[in-house]
Amino acid sequence: MTAAGRVRPVSAARPRRTPGRLRSHLLRPVLTGLGAVAGAGLLVGALPWLSGDDPARTVLRAREVEREPDPAVLAALREQLDLPADPVRGTLSWLGRAVTGDLGTSWVSGQPVGEVVPPALGVSATLAGTAAAVAVVLAVLLALPVVRRAADGRADGGGAAGVLAAALAALPEFVLAVVGVAVVAVGWGLLPTSGFTGPEHLVLPVLALALPAGGLLGRVLAGAVRETAGEAWVRSWRAAGVSRSAVQGAVARRALTVVVPQVLLLLVGLLGAGAVIEAVFDVPGLGRVALAGALAQDLPVVQAAVALLVLLGLVAGGAGVLVHRALLGPAGSDGGLSPELPPPVPRAGRWAAGLLAVLALVVLAGVLRDPTAQDLGDRLAAPSWEHPLGADALGRDVLARFGAGALPSVGLALLISAVVLVTGVAAGLLGRGRAGLADVLNALPAVVVGIAVAAVAGPSLVGAAVAVSLVAWIPLAVHTRTLAAEVRASGFHLAARTSGAGRGHLVRHHLLPAVLPPVGRHALLRVPHTALALAGLSFLGLGAGAESPEWGRSLADGVGYLERAPWLVAVPAAGLVLLGVAAGLVRTGR
Amino acid sequence: MSRPAGALLALPLLLAGCFAPAAEESADGGQRLALALAFPPVAALSPFSDDAVLLTRMGVGETLVRLDEAGEPAPLLAESWSRVDDRTVTLDLRADVPFHDGTPLDAEAVVGALAAAAAAVPAPRSIDGLGLTARAVDEDTVEVQVAEPDPLLVHRLAAPGLVLLAPAAYADPAAPDPVGTGTGPFELTELRGTSGATLTADADHWAGAPELAGVDVTFPADAAARTAGLRAGELDVAVNLPIAQLPTLTDTEVLSVPLPRLVSLSLDTADGPFADPGLRAAVAAAIDPQPVVDGVYEGRADVAEGLVDDDTAGGLDRPAVTLPPATDPAGASIRLATYSDRPELPEAAAVLAEQLRQAGFTVEVVVAEYATLETDLLAGAYDAVLASRLYLGDTGDPVGYLAADLTCAGSYNLARLCDPAVDAAVAAAATRADPEERRAAMLQVEAQVLSTGAVLPVLHERTHTGYAPSVSGLVVDPFDRLLLGTETTVEG
Repeated sequence: MTAAGRVRPVSAARPRRTPGRLRSHLLRPVLTGLGAVAGAGLLVGALPWLSGDDPARTVLRAREVEREPDPAVLAALREQLDLPADPVRGTLSWLGRAVTGDLGTSWVSGQPVGEVVPPALGVSATLAGTAAAVAVVLAVLLALPVVRRAADGRADGGGAAGVLAAALAALPEFVLAVVGVAVVAVGWGLLPTSGFTGPEHLVLPVLALALPAGGLLGRVLAGAVRETAGEAWVRSWRAAGVSRSAVQGAVARRALTVVVPQVLLLLVGLLGAGAVIEAVFDVPGLGRVALAGALAQDLPVVQAAVALLVLLGLVAGGAGVLVHRALLGPAGSDGGLSPELPPPVPRAGRWAAGLLAVLALVVLAGVLRDPTAQDLGDRLAAPSWEHPLGADALGRDVLARFGAGALPSVGLALLISAVVLVTGVAAGLLGRGRAGLADVLNALPAVVVGIAVAAVAGPSLVGAAVAVSLVAWIPLAVHTRTLAAEVRASGFHLAARTSGAGRGHLVRHHLLPAVLPPVGRHALLRVPHTALALAGLSFLGLGAGAESPEWGRSLADGVGYLERAPWLVAVPAAGLVLLGVAAGLVRTGR
Repeated sequence: MSRPAGALLALPLLLAGCFAPAAEESADGGQRLALALAFPPVAALSPFSDDAVLLTRMGVGETLVRLDEAGEPAPLLAESWSRVDDRTVTLDLRADVPFHDGTPLDAEAVVGALAAAAAAVPAPRSIDGLGLTARAVDEDTVEVQVAEPDPLLVHRLAAPGLVLLAPAAYADPAAPDPVGTGTGPFELTELRGTSGATLTADADHWAGAPELAGVDVTFPADAAARTAGLRAGELDVAVNLPIAQLPTLTDTEVLSVPLPRLVSLSLDTADGPFADPGLRAAVAAAIDPQPVVDGVYEGRADVAEGLVDDDTAGGLDRPAVTLPPATDPAGASIRLATYSDRPELPEAAAVLAEQLRQAGFTVEVVVAEYATLETDLLAGAYDAVLASRLYLGDTGDPVGYLAADLTCAGSYNLARLCDPAVDAAVAAAATRADPEERRAAMLQVEAQVLSTGAVLPVLHERTHTGYAPSVSGLVVDPFDRLLLGTETTVEG
């Protein structure tokens, strides 16, 4: 069996690769990379045209915030910047210079882009790399109980570790960051509050990024372990008297195959999108560079940043596919795997129902109260008989706002999750099993996507939903892609294929039943994250209105009062965690 | 995990291992002060950008003159000056002032620095479009001239954008490099991108050797990060702290200085419901700034009597304001926009919106980052805008603000006000040279503007600087340009 033939797309009739095809096999990644960079560069280059904002004005504002947009000044600046006549021509000439290594100079600072973007990328890579590594360790630790029981031939939902993982997955990163600073750095004085000049500066930002990511990966890993535990070889090994630790190791390794592409996705996603955490800790990373550059329409800087991120995204996406194959090893070849349906998880549904009932009761209690009534006399009032969960900075009742915010937060997040589940599964099944659009989109900084969407869809809740959906399907698509590759390498899939089953039959009877439950659980786990992402774009004017009681917005508004009124943060955060845990315990299908 | 997977996961770490460069340890003893300024340099501390004020706050760069508390010019690098005619002034330079690189501050150096500023694109705001030229009269006398008669010519030279750097700094005249080329009490010895700067005391400074041995500066853009650094004892001084977090500063002193900064509600007079002066009057009657000041600003701001504060009014009486009779809002639907860059504004907008709802308006509040709102704000996409504006600009004089914000041709006219009477009054005020007359004329404009109901003053802001109790001798500057001086110390 040749390496090229290991994992094959559904269309099995395709002939084995010949030397001529091998050359195209090498050429294709280069062309894909070039195309992706050109496309992303064009998207960035088109931002001024999309947003309708004059780059001369945005650049002047970035240099001098309070300066009036005097027409004569703008005209002089426009001449100096030498703005391209249209985005296509501008992007082509940028691409031409970039290929020769000339990235140009920043419109705002006048500094060479080569001296601004690469150091920031290095800083972000350190942060994201460490965070991804810690997240993997955390995920393995959280999944250990499941591995242990799986090796004994039992399957379960993960018990306390599973609940903990689901709770962690629902925690907002910026809340963890601010709490970390307040408790560990200010309260205990153990670590520096901000800056990035040595390893001691890594701890808090890495924890803020890695705890939610590790929780999520831990749940995905536990799910993969349960699927693995049902495979026939585990029973054979145990029957053959293979040591418990050897079985555990093999099960864990087999399950990790599903998680590794997710980790690489996380790693690249963190590179350009860490602006919030970078700001809290004053880390000079690429997220902030990209954010400031996009808002100032400093095209040379943003184009260089996006080009680097997109290339890294493609490399990481390709690496994810390769690592997945390498981890599957010889079993990844046709007929080598035997995924089976694991036994149903007992009782977990009851817990989920219980938690959801608690959540529903609190929401109901809140809905009966007035979420808009202000009383500045009660500013930041502590929980009392009058305000059972305290009052916010305008003296509004927190319980009432929690109740009123439930529907816009949870409802929309659930809706988006359903949409991206369908999109993600479809894209993952139809994809060719190599890096592509998903990896490119994942690498784009959220602000670039957000500005483009705001320009096209308008600054509305719909715009926010579209922007979030544009990226939320990616982890699910990659998860699907990974699982589908395993199913296609299985004996029953091979048998069905060789006996002439059509593509539709294969998808309906072999791929979907194996892919949908774990990917569905994954989608549910991300519901709290989606609710937060909706609020995360509000600085662009995307999302629910300024006075909306939506949970993500409440969290962002309340985080500045963390120490004076912790209930402003605790209440919506608890809502998200309850939602996350309940979603993590829901039984999907079997 | 198998080896390839592990290697791939470790790859980014090996590739990167990158941190921001750390400050080099200073060899000599003496006290150093840890300072956090409010925003990172946008142009590598080039004075032809907002970074100019970072240079003056750090005590690195100095201007020919400074503005005193009354907003009048006072000697700094120029010891004295005299008007030759209404568009020319000669300035006598302070003797024996060296730049940090050792070259002398003489007339040639000053002429070169001013020429570079006048040629910059765009030129610093205070001198833009004036046709400013400078020539050396002798070794230490400089003549500065503008094209049109200008009562504020000397005031303009106090703008931070006109800090004087050594000739070597202007190798790239568009982006002067202040490292080792300033004249202030502290020499900028190292700038580490946007993450930090190292300052060393200049023992030969003309006002005497600074008490401090040096300063370590960081630029955390996040106000909470500055507050946390101060509380954790990592910082000695942090500027521009958010009001919401001041109560958490229990072991720290807070210096609150009133700023020439107005928070006001601008109503779109060009179209929409507020084209009707009666509805504008209804808003004026409905809003009450006191709860905003007491609640949102926690008493750390001052209710605005007019566009400018009493100090700027200089004790003169404000002419009476007469608004047209108010009409009944009858549920008129309006959109009120503000931005989240200044953390108190969204809360203030919510309070004002509630007051308007009580008065019978239907209000939708829009909040976003300033950068994403500006085009729409200026195009009149919203009926009302709650904004914060510095009204004393670079010259210590409000006429520039009045012209930009309230005249027909004004480039920052949020209310889209176009009233020939206001335009004429602003033009008249601009020609007054006598400070007293100028103030009276300015108050006349203010009364005329307020009588249109186009701009409703809410409050005047203060800036809050936190410092450790061991710090003393910070410079209190109502224009928020100075902070560190030769007297600034931090005890053991």
